[in-house]
Amino acid sequence: MKKKLILAGTVLMGAGLALAGCGDSSKTSDGKTKIEMVQYKPEAVKAFEKMEEKFNETHDDIELTIESPNEAMTILKTRFIKEDQPDIIGIGGDVNYSNFLDSDMLMDISDFDGLKDIKQSYLDIDKNLEFIPEDGTYAVPYVANAAGILYNKEMFEENGWEIPTTWDEFIELLDTIQASGQLPLYFGFKDTWTCLAPWNAMACDLSPADVCQQVNKGTTTFSEEYRELADKIIQLLPYAQNDPYAFSYNDACTAFARGESAMYCIGSYAVPQILSVNPDMQIDSFVFPANDNADKQVLNSGVDLQFSVMKDCKNKEAAYEVLQFMLEDENIQIYLDEQNAVPCKEGDFELPSMLDGVKEYIENDKMTDYQDHHYPSEMAVDAMIQTYLMDGNADSFLAKFDKDWIRYNRDLIRKVQKYEEEHGEGGNES
Amino acid sequence: MKGNERKRTFMLITIPVLILFFAFNTLPLIKGFIYSFTNFKGYGSYEWVGLRNYIDLFQDARVGKSYLFTFKFAIVATIIVNVISLILALGLNSKIRAKSALRGIYFIPNVLGGLVVGYIFSFIFTYILPTIGENLGIGFLKSSMLASTKSAWFAIVIVAAWQAIAMNTIIYISGLQTVPEDVYEAGAIDGATGWSKFKNLTFPLIIPFFTINMVLCMKNFLMVFDQIMSLTKGGPAQSTESISYLIYRNGMDGGQFGFQSANAVLFFVVIVAISVFQLTFMNKKEEQL
Amino acid sequence: MKKNSQMPGKTNWPVTILLILGCITIFFPLYMAVIIAFKKPSEMTNDIAGALSLPSSWSFSNFTEAMKVTDFWNSLGNSLLITIVTVVLAILIHSIAGYAIGRNMANSKFYKFSYLYIVSGMFVPFAILMMPLVKQTSQMGIGNRVGVIVLYVVFYMPMNLLLYSGYLKNIPMALEEAAKVDGASTWKTYWSIVFPIMKPMHATVAVLTALGTWNDVMTPLVMMSGTGKNTLPLAQLNFQTQFGTNYNLAFASYLLALIPIVIFYLVCQKQILNGVVNGAVK
Repeated sequence: MKKKLILAGTVLMGAGLALAGCGDSSKTSDGKTKIEMVQYKPEAVKAFEKMEEKFNETHDDIELTIESPNEAMTILKTRFIKEDQPDIIGIGGDVNYSNFLDSDMLMDISDFDGLKDIKQSYLDIDKNLEFIPEDGTYAVPYVANAAGILYNKEMFEENGWEIPTTWDEFIELLDTIQASGQLPLYFGFKDTWTCLAPWNAMACDLSPADVCQQVNKGTTTFSEEYRELADKIIQLLPYAQNDPYAFSYNDACTAFARGESAMYCIGSYAVPQILSVNPDMQIDSFVFPANDNADKQVLNSGVDLQFSVMKDCKNKEAAYEVLQFMLEDENIQIYLDEQNAVPCKEGDFELPSMLDGVKEYIENDKMTDYQDHHYPSEMAVDAMIQTYLMDGNADSFLAKFDKDWIRYNRDLIRKVQKYEEEHGEGGNES
Repeated sequence: MKGNERKRTFMLITIPVLILFFAFNTLPLIKGFIYSFTNFKGYGSYEWVGLRNYIDLFQDARVGKSYLFTFKFAIVATIIVNVISLILALGLNSKIRAKSALRGIYFIPNVLGGLVVGYIFSFIFTYILPTIGENLGIGFLKSSMLASTKSAWFAIVIVAAWQAIAMNTIIYISGLQTVPEDVYEAGAIDGATGWSKFKNLTFPLIIPFFTINMVLCMKNFLMVFDQIMSLTKGGPAQSTESISYLIYRNGMDGGQFGFQSANAVLFFVVIVAISVFQLTFMNKKEEQL
Repeated sequence: MKKNSQMPGKTNWPVTILLILGCITIFFPLYMAVIIAFKKPSEMTNDIAGALSLPSSWSFSNFTEAMKVTDFWNSLGNSLLITIVTVVLAILIHSIAGYAIGRNMANSKFYKFSYLYIVSGMFVPFAILMMPLVKQTSQMGIGNRVGVIVLYVVFYMPMNLLLYSGYLKNIPMALEEAAKVDGASTWKTYWSIVFPIMKPMHATVAVLTALGTWNDVMTPLVMMSGTGKNTLPLAQLNFQTQFGTNYNLAFASYLLALIPIVIFYLVCQKQILNGVVNGAVK
């Protein structure tokens, strides 16, 4: 028996040692400043690995680690709960950014030099994401994406289909494609977030860009602003494969890559995944023509990746150095080559060819941010849209939208209204 | 002297164990209870909101739906698992060939991890069954069970049952083995056969095992998580969000730490209530028989 | 049906055959997993014959690829480490706690209370503890594998205490009294006499605890996120997107995650089944 106990003890001690060996060491090891960055796009892991390696080769005093975990937002939030924050986070310009900023977790980086080279329109998009206007700047927009409709160039050329510019033309095109015995659209609605792709793209054409802010101020309702959008989005279903709720985003990308559908309503962020299935595919895109008036179509574009320095970061200079490095033209190019994105920095970058069809909108700044960047994630608007697409009841969907909006945003609405009041009475304090 | 030494040793053992248990079970329970009165997101600052989270809980359609789903799932799965396990146990306890091999095989699903099993079944539901349905012309199989709000919950029942049956069967078998042979011999004289034999002789004797199975099954199924994570992630149209899944999803990820803490408190109360109810109900039944 | 339990010697063939046929429901999903893991993406076709047929060649390339993608050996190492340490600690700590509490609860209110207090912890769902625990463990600096092990030791305490104190009732006090007469301390008596006698229960506790911890996803998911470390099941969850639509790669990885426990089960099948039965009877 004793032998067994000794054995058990040894096993335990060994395990204890093994565990102690990998305890997290503090900020510096062998004199270097450690900078840890977590970025939320696992599909871009290769680009970031390259940058990480390059950075560490050229910097003796800073050791940079970049993590690109799957389900990064959950991991990030779990780490916030743990109060174990990285130095820099790379996230999207969406409601999470608004929340982190509102919770006072991000550092004001207005003194960061690199901001001068960032296009104003993207800084404005970030400004609009602030729940209540803040002083200072809290994020460096890095790359943007665009969402609309991706189409299979070969199929379009073979059949002589033309790019639609209005809703009627679009429906006509869908009918033509279907009549030819081919599948016009493919959806991956098993992953609920993909329901937001057509929703956002159409919302740009059909609803005011600041609809959420307007609702928060109490000047309008979603039932009013989203009615046409709800009526139109459901008309797309007959043109897609049967049972779109059985297939995931991955399945849809694969199907589109294999030519099973002529078009795919998704953002430019899906292109690398599609090309991984079919590297020779010719893809181009056009703006979702949801409006009846061709001049009123607006490109859906938002900040896909931006960097923020956490307030708790102890080495601001080192963090800035990392950001500066990321913004060097050749490093942005590393990212662009991997990910087909639109850079937020001024300069002569070549836009990926699959954005040819929407170039004009980008150059003329006819762009609106994703509406869902303003939706609170716990409200699960994606699942609400999925529910609506399945049951087709627009009235109850819109009524629920308005009701839930107030329920999930009431602290925010109170804050905004309080701010407006103070702002109105006390003049501008800034 | 000896008595004191003995007492002291027992105290020295018990106190640290109690402290350990308190620190990692009771303390977080209390903290969770406290958070349930805040609008804490999990990070940043938070405010006290009094009973608001609890009031919201009873008005929140999504929470209500998750309770309905979880109960529907747990009750149906418990019944199916217990019926099939009992039949299997009777079969595996009868005079058959390759008894131990068969018992071994039927236990396999229990050792496999729920998450990976879920992924495997997810593929079967999405691709294999529709293919079979398509080719054999079986209408209801043609589309994926996971894609429809009507059938997705039952697909989860199937997967959960596939795994849980193994454990329950073994428990029933050990129950059946406690039934002495002479009970049957006495019964045979009375001419008890088949169903009546089972109902009047076997079943009353294994009621304690039936109780264990019902309580364990119900408790485990109410906490279903892995299968949801791997099969549906709560979809389609939020029709398969279990309580645990919702607490995880919105509490950790969705910035509802405070609100979901309130949900978790309610969930705890519900689980205790059901377990107590089941145990007292079964005890009464046992006494009656 | 008539004479299934008595009349030794006569095999009930209809039941035997039904049960053998029933095994199909067990093997079919596993069969699918195996053939998909060995196929190439191009072999995945949309007809029954294609879906159910064996792969054209038994190449292990999917497996080597999956090992690379999911960092298999490290995940396996973590799973083994966590499970083994948890089981050893559970046997040591829970058995002695069961002894101290079980021996005294009949005539001491304190121990009776301790017993009920810990056993009632069985009904506390992890969901309610999850979020505060994540915060608490990381404040204590054990938001990692150590924390996972500590949590398991606490989570399995109610069940194991129940099992050990129940088993203890069958062990006569006389054995301990004899040792006491020889002047041995209670501590020593426990390790030299009581602990070895509880061996069957150690097996049960080991099996139940090991199966639970090995397959658990939720605890490591919330505790180990951000540490860059995975357990085997957690790796499957975390690498879902990396698999993309390459189901063959994904299934190779699933099989790799299942194989260790299946091998363990095949080797120790008897002990595992006995262990489970033992636990159920208590």
